[in-house]
Amino acid sequence: MKRNRLVATSVASTITLALALTACSTGGNDNGSGEGEAATGDIRVWLNGSDTPDAAREYLKTTFEEENPGSTLTIEEQSWTGLVDKLTTSLSGSDSPDVVEVGNTQSPAFTSAGFFREITEEEFQSLGGDDLLQGFVEAGDWDEKHYALPYYAGSRAVFYSPSAIGSDITVPATLDEYVELGKSLKTDSRSGVYWPGQDWYNALPFIWENGGFIAEQNDAGEWEGGFSSEGGLAGLAQVQDLMTNASLAPKDGQETDLQVPFCEGKVAFLSAPTWIQWSINAPEEPETPDGVPGCASTYGGDLTAFPLPGKEAGTTAQVFAGGSNIAVAQKSNNPELAFKAFEIMMSDEYQTILAENGLIPAKVSLASAVPQDNPIAQAGVAAAANTRLTPASPKWADVEAQNVLQSAFTKIANGDDVKTVAAELDAKIEEILNS
Amino acid sequence: MSSTTLEPRTERSGAAVRPPKKRRPPVLPWTLLLPSLVVLGVLVGYPIVRLVVMSFQKYERAQLMGQPAEWVGFDNYAQVLTDVDGFWTVLLRSFLFMVVCVALTMLIGTLVALLMMRLGKGFRLLVSIGLLLAWAMPALAGTVVWGWIFDSDYGVVNNLLTKITGENWLGHAWLINPLLFFTVATIIIVWGAVPFVAFTMYAGLTQIPGEVLEAAQLDGAGPVKRFRLIMVPYVRSIITVLVVLSIIWDLRVFTQIYALQDIGGIREQTNTIGVYIYQMGMAQGHYGLAGAISVIFVFIMLAISFYYVRQTVREEEL
Repeated sequence: MKRNRLVATSVASTITLALALTACSTGGNDNGSGEGEAATGDIRVWLNGSDTPDAAREYLKTTFEEENPGSTLTIEEQSWTGLVDKLTTSLSGSDSPDVVEVGNTQSPAFTSAGFFREITEEEFQSLGGDDLLQGFVEAGDWDEKHYALPYYAGSRAVFYSPSAIGSDITVPATLDEYVELGKSLKTDSRSGVYWPGQDWYNALPFIWENGGFIAEQNDAGEWEGGFSSEGGLAGLAQVQDLMTNASLAPKDGQETDLQVPFCEGKVAFLSAPTWIQWSINAPEEPETPDGVPGCASTYGGDLTAFPLPGKEAGTTAQVFAGGSNIAVAQKSNNPELAFKAFEIMMSDEYQTILAENGLIPAKVSLASAVPQDNPIAQAGVAAAANTRLTPASPKWADVEAQNVLQSAFTKIANGDDVKTVAAELDAKIEEILNS
Repeated sequence: MSSTTLEPRTERSGAAVRPPKKRRPPVLPWTLLLPSLVVLGVLVGYPIVRLVVMSFQKYERAQLMGQPAEWVGFDNYAQVLTDVDGFWTVLLRSFLFMVVCVALTMLIGTLVALLMMRLGKGFRLLVSIGLLLAWAMPALAGTVVWGWIFDSDYGVVNNLLTKITGENWLGHAWLINPLLFFTVATIIIVWGAVPFVAFTMYAGLTQIPGEVLEAAQLDGAGPVKRFRLIMVPYVRSIITVLVVLSIIWDLRVFTQIYALQDIGGIREQTNTIGVYIYQMGMAQGHYGLAGAISVIFVFIMLAISFYYVRQTVREEEL
């Protein structure tokens, strides 16, 4: 009895120790292809969210497998949430994906630490050179070398359905009018402007239009937060006004599955990336098993959009230049094949498919392929004409990874004092960027 | 551990039976131990060594890709231990959360075990199946389902409250208030941990000889006294093991909190130590700092385990 208990105790504590300490081990390397025959292999491409249309995925896979007989290409969809963590672990391991998509603001965290294969000047010229979106090329450069190239740019527009809110609606001409209209459209069961608390991308135009900024470098090279600036506070006040007086969205919710409340008719205005139209204007019964139901027969059918108006009448608001870069992983097991897949994704044909689906292509010369005949595409193009970026610091990805902005805007949605939140937010951003 | 505690005994008994002999190295025990030692060395030993080494280095993302790391001595530890708003707050929060979870888990687990002793065969089977299902549910899946239950717009809880009270609860965010966030987290964790405690306690309690309880009853001991004075002492070592395990599990809880933070709530107000280490290391790329926190945390856990294990061993030897 005595001995048994002793053994039981020690076994239990050993197990505990093992559990406590090995929780973080990772493993597995399923790529055992022979090194002698580097000509064929399986290439894994990581794409994020549902942003890349199915037609483009299909084209990438078939083209690659036709051009490289014997090789296969697998697209693995990753979620945008927690992407930096996931890329960090997988790109540094022996089981690295070969080609990865990364948010443009996240690029510096990886390019600065050598996670991506360098793209030589010659390759850069053959892939588009000066025709590529300049801001995104810069996001993928480090130390005057190219590592990641632009994939696509997105833009945001304000969506609404005339059958839900009446066709006599006049599109607001200024940001202030937008706020007033949003509040007046709110009822007990419908949001005037649907705004989940964690959605910080939508808050940036309000900061910028009111003259505020996220963070800027002073003469000494130190970063200074700008949410507490006069313009920043005015912007935050407007954001809070909309979040608390126009929105019924969860105060700590994320900007995911926005089509659900929209299709229920619970939303008047929805400011979202333009690709959300494919989720809303989708059949009620999904065609594929993993498809998401939309509402093509009701509010999706007459879906339309306008660009967020600016402070002055006749202007559009400065919006966040969202989008992605792509790169070949430094630790890819098949760098040559990976680069071939990379070339396909940068090709005119592939980029045209992206453009036809309403994304802004990586090459300026293909911009005309974005359909001009529908109001949503027009709104997207108009909004994309006036974009700004997050602070150009390699540490900015850490600000995003720590969810600093999500937390701050959740507090603002919850009705906390704007001044206090802004001061805390600035301090946090300064702490990270200056560390 | 077992070898060190058992050694003196064999020595003593050996001395009593046989005349003193030249000691030969005990080859057989070590040969038998070797495979498990190798496995432990690879799976537990190496990561610990790596962790400790890393905690003395400036180890960031670039070092992951092969750049040499710079030695910084105790800088990481100094930075962590002086970080009152970060490390100490998170640690205190984790401890409070752990105490509540362990207390509730033990209480409910024991009550369920006692219930199972009274139940007939059919109901006992039903309860066992229910417990097993809860236990078999992966932590991530369980958290997502609980997240739906407490969903602001479409959750069962808000719908029920609206129906019962007649007031509009739809849109009420449960996770935004840190206290309510941890209430929901406590429910999820206790729900997942009770089955193990209940089964183990049930196994222990059914081993108590019936005649002892009967004798106590004849001597006039009521149910409470019988539980406190007969049952608990019989299963004391089991309780100790369960409490130590629960403390460690609940202190280093990760999945439930991490997943719940994705669903809602404010991260900086709801971080526990496991999530904090992950954010410092994986999300922000400060592996050296995260390593230092982990080492400190390992020592804290060792201290807790050591206290309880020693306590048990001492009681055994009385």
